[in-house]
Amino acid sequence: MTDLLASRYEQLKHEVGKERVEDLGVISRRDLERFAIASQAPWTAPADDDVATAPPMFLSSVMGWGAGPPETELDGDGTAPSDTRGLRLSGVRLMGAGQDLEFHTAVREGMRVVARTSLRDIELKHGKSGALLLLQILRQFTDDHERPLVTCRETFIAR
Amino acid sequence: MTKTVLSESPRLAVGVPLGPYPARPTTVQLFRFSAVTWNAHRIHYDREYAETEGYPGVLVQAHLHGCYLANAALDWAGPGGRLCSFRWTNRSIAVAGDELTVTGQVSSVSQDGDSTLVGLQLEEHDAQGTLCVSGEAVVAIPMSAPVDHR
Repeated sequence: MTDLLASRYEQLKHEVGKERVEDLGVISRRDLERFAIASQAPWTAPADDDVATAPPMFLSSVMGWGAGPPETELDGDGTAPSDTRGLRLSGVRLMGAGQDLEFHTAVREGMRVVARTSLRDIELKHGKSGALLLLQILRQFTDDHERPLVTCRETFIAR
Repeated sequence: MTKTVLSESPRLAVGVPLGPYPARPTTVQLFRFSAVTWNAHRIHYDREYAETEGYPGVLVQAHLHGCYLANAALDWAGPGGRLCSFRWTNRSIAVAGDELTVTGQVSSVSQDGDSTLVGLQLEEHDAQGTLCVSGEAVVAIPMSAPVDHR
């Protein structure tokens, strides 16, 4: 596994700092309501005429915004590159390790959201339980007028 | 339940405890959270697969742990409260069926215009006392917001 992690490290270190822009589409009320229910957020659905506001964790929790690849193209553990924000990490065991979030503007239904994603840092470490990769990923969510919505600095661990 | 306005609330002092807020993740909740976040990672819904990775059951998603802490902060803040910033770190795993509890305390209080900014330190433990998640949040509460004394 150490060789595989070293190989992934060599591949991904060249990705540091490169920004990828993705149009996430228009946020629907149904998406917000489903997320609120699944996450048990203290959230009340607005009246029909009012605009729904997203639970604060919504944007940074969603792993994939498109249809995703067919099942035959998923890795054996079910993951796809969208789960690591577009970075390919086949063959390793991946875990989220936390987020650092700034909430700039409320996210509302009907907004078109854009995400700018970049790998900020990658380290190959050798801990007590063996080698691991530590990835720091920055995502900046804006509306389609580049107004900041949420900034998310996220850590992933790959073993 | 009595209500006062925020500026009179005894809750707004450093060291005041928060919670406990229970969370009881079920396999159904994990499935639904994976579905709405479009997360097909098998460790969250396929127990047999999760065991091949050495886990005792299907894992609570890292982001769902974050939601539990955020939910606790927002519930504590009450109507009108909003998160300004929030960070959390996953420390240990939890699986479906675990009994999790979020607790915390007020770490700072300051004024910002018509709002009070309250810093919160948050922790989530399982029933054995293992720290699963730690975090910090800053919530803004309108000065005129009613406060429940819970």
